[in-house]
Amino acid sequence: MSLLDALPTPQVSWRQWRPNRVLFVLFSAMLAAVWLLDVVSVAPNRIVSGEGVGLIEAMGWMGASLVSAVILTLLALSLQPSRQGYQVVLVGVSLLLLLLPVGLMVASHRLISSDTPMARLNMGMAYWLMLSLLLLGWIELRLRLALSRRRLLLMLAGVTVVWGLCVMLGLESLALGQEFRARDDEFWRALHQHVTLVSASVAISIVLGLSLTMLMRRYTRCQKIAFGVLNFLQTIPSIALFGLMLGPLAWLAAKWPLLSQLGFSGIGWAPALLALVAYSLLPMVRNTYIALEQVSPETLEAARGMGMRNRQRFIQVRLPLALPVLLEGIRITTVQAIGLTAVAALIGAGGLGAFIFQGLGQAAMDMVLLGALPILILALIADAGLGALADILRPNDSVQSGDSP
Amino acid sequence: MSPSAVRRSLASRGASRAIWPATWFVLLMLCVWGFPYADGLLRVLEPDANQVVYQRASLASLLLKHLFVVSVAAVVTIVGGVLAAIVVTREWGRDFLPMVAQVASLGQTFPPVAVLALAVPALGFGTLPIIVALVLYGMLPIVRNTLGGLQDVDKDIKSAATAMGMTPWQVLRQVELPLAAPIILAGIRTSITINISTAAIGATVGARNLGDPIIAGIVNGNMAYIIQGALTIALLALTVDSLFERLQERLRSRLFTS
Repeated sequence: MSLLDALPTPQVSWRQWRPNRVLFVLFSAMLAAVWLLDVVSVAPNRIVSGEGVGLIEAMGWMGASLVSAVILTLLALSLQPSRQGYQVVLVGVSLLLLLLPVGLMVASHRLISSDTPMARLNMGMAYWLMLSLLLLGWIELRLRLALSRRRLLLMLAGVTVVWGLCVMLGLESLALGQEFRARDDEFWRALHQHVTLVSASVAISIVLGLSLTMLMRRYTRCQKIAFGVLNFLQTIPSIALFGLMLGPLAWLAAKWPLLSQLGFSGIGWAPALLALVAYSLLPMVRNTYIALEQVSPETLEAARGMGMRNRQRFIQVRLPLALPVLLEGIRITTVQAIGLTAVAALIGAGGLGAFIFQGLGQAAMDMVLLGALPILILALIADAGLGALADILRPNDSVQSGDSP
Repeated sequence: MSPSAVRRSLASRGASRAIWPATWFVLLMLCVWGFPYADGLLRVLEPDANQVVYQRASLASLLLKHLFVVSVAAVVTIVGGVLAAIVVTREWGRDFLPMVAQVASLGQTFPPVAVLALAVPALGFGTLPIIVALVLYGMLPIVRNTLGGLQDVDKDIKSAATAMGMTPWQVLRQVELPLAAPIILAGIRTSITINISTAAIGATVGARNLGDPIIAGIVNGNMAYIIQGALTIALLALTVDSLFERLQERLRSRLFTS
């Protein structure tokens, strides 16, 4: 037996072959979804629920094979990943995202004839699944290619614009578009109300939260009580908090006519704003408190050694260092407020939630979608935008490539 | 301090804290059974309303339904979240770690009302949509804490366990999970406490739970209804939360003394 046999043999077996399993799973799921689930559904009018249509019927053989070919190519690429391969996959995924509305156009052309103007086309289960799988694929690719969050946001914005254009120009029969065209004034007004309510409540809770944290840092004995009260507020369900504002505010408005002249009353924006602020305080105060406390004592000591006064130390050292964590608090608060404002529609504060509850009341699901989808998108935009801002503001000594899981 | 002294001091502190779950629970029961007879008290809030006690369903039955919805969502979330976190911390599932972390955090970005509204066309009105919304909303704390807890387990301890001849499954069962248990439990506590109050919005899509009196109160402009629902939910959340606190203490003291 030669010495060579005793040495380990170099492994050139299948074990070295490492496909990207995440992308493989995602693309396989995509393929399965496209073929097995309803791609679109067609409803004769607004109230009747639609009937599902499969891939071949919706897109024809040509469209079906094109979609399958693209997904199969991506599937093959994910088996033997390399940097160039990932870039091609990124292009492919973006292409699919851009092709989605085109597919809808094809489907509407094939399925809806001109003699049924009331007919509506709805995206089916496969479409939604495809969309979320593609976005998940994007997240994975972003990690592999170490894309910055800003670039991803830019691409996402691009895709959104193309989608918006398609819906406005070529998709007369898409249910969501029809619903939008039927009440576009109302929609923009609701969006405006929603954003205004959210920004006002976040702004107020930032100011209030900061001042409350300052007070808590000065009077340490009140800390426990303050956190206890804020925690209790958070256990009250949001809809109840909105409801509980009705009575006292109506009473106040009745007592002082000046207030009611300002638009202050039991229903509408005033109770909504109050409840939103009350609900936003806990995450705000908690994060501000942690942010200010986690600044290392050595750094502050060094600042003192440099001859900084207390106020200077706070403004020039503690606050900038606390900013990323503070922004995290603002991000949580904003995302939460976007969702809660939807509930505020129940007490007449308007906003996109009004569409949701009206739609649920009339069993008109397209209208529900018109309210829910923008809320979802708003929440995602706020989440990503504020997250990117926190990334930028983070001190440069720790190199950050995206967020840590 | 000797271990027995430590245990005694922990036990005595635990005994004094055991009072909280009991207190909240008694208050909760007082709410559930007392409100129907508190006509006079509720009348103070709404002197003009022709009815102040919520009578469409008993608070006790609503409480049970509320608990049922939250528990089903909790079981799904815990099983799914903990399993997913275990899978992605194993060697063979590591590829999926970023994805699972992202999906979990996306779940909490989606507002529950929007999820609820989107779930209705697919699942119909009733209890199912709210369970889906709660599962999505409660996933993040559990996944995040399980991931954190499992990753925080000292590598040396794991290699020691492997060196003792434990199989990977045994290492997970007997070393990693027990050590991560307090952190996982903290995640479960957060998730369930949030969901107890979030579940109330299910009443807007026809799920019958403690959100019912609140919605009825908002629709009829009746503060007394809202108070009945809100107070019961808040007390339920406090009861469950303090129970979890006790559980965490017991777990910690057991880990600490053994």
